[in-house]
Amino acid sequence: MTTKPRLITDSFKVVKKAKRGARKAKRPLSPPPTHQAEAGAATLQEEELRTLRHFDLDWRFGPCTGISRLHRWERAELHGLDPPEEIRELLQTHTDPEYSLSLWRDYPL
Amino acid sequence: MFSELSAQKEGSSLLCRPSEDQGPVFDRMSLAYSPCSERYTVGERSFSRQYAHIYAARLMQMRPLLSERAKQKWGSDVLIRKLCDLQTGEQCCIVGTLFKRMDLQPSILKEISEEHNLLPQPARVKFISETDELILEDELQRIKLEGNIYRDKCVTGSVIAIYGAEKNDGKFTVEDFCMADLPPQSPRPTLSSDRFVLLVSGLGLGSTHADSMLGLQLLVDMVTGQLGDQGEQSGAATISRVLLVGNLLSQNTQDADAATKPKYLTKKTQAGSVEAIRLLDEMLLQLVASVPVDVMPGQYDPTNFTLPQQALHRCMFPLSSVYPTLQLVTNPHQSHIDGVRFLGTSGQNVCDIQRYSSMDDHLEILEDTLRLRHLAPTAPDTLGCYPFYQKDPFILEECPHVYFSGMAPTFQSKLVKGPDGQECLLVTIPDFNSTQTACLVNLRTLTCEPISFSAFSADEDEDSEMNVSH
Repeated sequence: MTTKPRLITDSFKVVKKAKRGARKAKRPLSPPPTHQAEAGAATLQEEELRTLRHFDLDWRFGPCTGISRLHRWERAELHGLDPPEEIRELLQTHTDPEYSLSLWRDYPL
Repeated sequence: MFSELSAQKEGSSLLCRPSEDQGPVFDRMSLAYSPCSERYTVGERSFSRQYAHIYAARLMQMRPLLSERAKQKWGSDVLIRKLCDLQTGEQCCIVGTLFKRMDLQPSILKEISEEHNLLPQPARVKFISETDELILEDELQRIKLEGNIYRDKCVTGSVIAIYGAEKNDGKFTVEDFCMADLPPQSPRPTLSSDRFVLLVSGLGLGSTHADSMLGLQLLVDMVTGQLGDQGEQSGAATISRVLLVGNLLSQNTQDADAATKPKYLTKKTQAGSVEAIRLLDEMLLQLVASVPVDVMPGQYDPTNFTLPQQALHRCMFPLSSVYPTLQLVTNPHQSHIDGVRFLGTSGQNVCDIQRYSSMDDHLEILEDTLRLRHLAPTAPDTLGCYPFYQKDPFILEECPHVYFSGMAPTFQSKLVKGPDGQECLLVTIPDFNSTQTACLVNLRTLTCEPISFSAFSADEDEDSEMNVSH
């Protein structure tokens, strides 16, 4: 009986690693809406993110880079600038970086 | 005055025969003390933020104050505009942050871009020039200023209100301007007896010439009551606290060679600051055994460079840190001593303004920062500063009773009165290493006098009121 030369993959299965960058790039895209309910959720999320982006671009509350949205909201509150309450509620219910960090989160400094 | 207090006892003199029994014991007054420097301690150290936040927070904090001042000064119906709503020719008031564009200001970008035909520049003491321009910025825009505003006296980063109109050429003609002026002050308690706080700056340990060591030892002996006769000893007992205001180590302890020399050459050499810190520890040990001491770091001390400088680490003082009387504090330091509010820095802020404005007098600059209601307006532009974002801790929210700064060339002091009856004693503390002079602040009368320990100085008859060595 001839013995086949054993390969390292016989004892250790080949595991394909997913590329790191690929996942990251996909995340900002919203998942494709399959059901009607999910589509509704997606538009709600879009809406919320739009409000948050509007908050980022409101110059009265100061620069938004480098700090989280909640920090920026708290600063505005501290200095009596009356930031909208709904923004804070949004930020406290979601911990996803897409929510908590500002529009320019992908740009270092 | 301290000198009178020390000399009041006549009967007991060093020239009399030593008495058999134990001499009198003078108890040192211990005063209520509460540090309130929390605002100057930096918890998280994140340096990934831009400095835009600190300017934004500064303007946010100062705008309501300045709007109020502007209304007081130019009438309650004065028109306060943002720069974006500005109409040409309309008389109005604008609140904003000053920016002085200076040709001579050192800039790393300029140095890099002109690297190939770089002319060696002489070392400068001042960076102002005739071509400087004053610009006022608010949240969105900036405008060039001209007219009734003294360009060379202003520094970048100060928040002021200006009154005037925009001309056709796009420049704003300033008719008048106002600063935030002194913040509100809590009343000072009336004290029944004289009690003193000793302020010393720039001990300069580890310097190459050791001629300040005698003066320093005299200072320590005087405070601990080992000097003079009973009169002087009872006087020393009224010194209830000592504040060491920065630059405990000399500039010489920071050898630049260590960074540039190869490692194998510097392996066996010891940093100059190690020996100096040991010396400081021994000196502190003598002091803290007898009197509470606050130690503030300064420009050349082994702590972080950026303001607010954090307290020196306890492990550097193995001998003296076991005493509860040793307080290691931050660089802008604020505390209540017997109800009297002390606030001050080791002088980096004042020296920086001196470089970037026409003002030379430390006392004048100190008063200016008080009127601007900002400890260090030039931070973060030309003075290192932690990137704060929530609020600017250097804005003065409460007026101190004693406002000091170290590293001054000479001793000066002045009582400043505010519009709402505030009283603030300004003190510039001279460099002890070169002048051998410390300052004594009387908490009861809110006055200050210098005390000199120079043994062999050439100008002996100068304003030193008490020359202990004689």
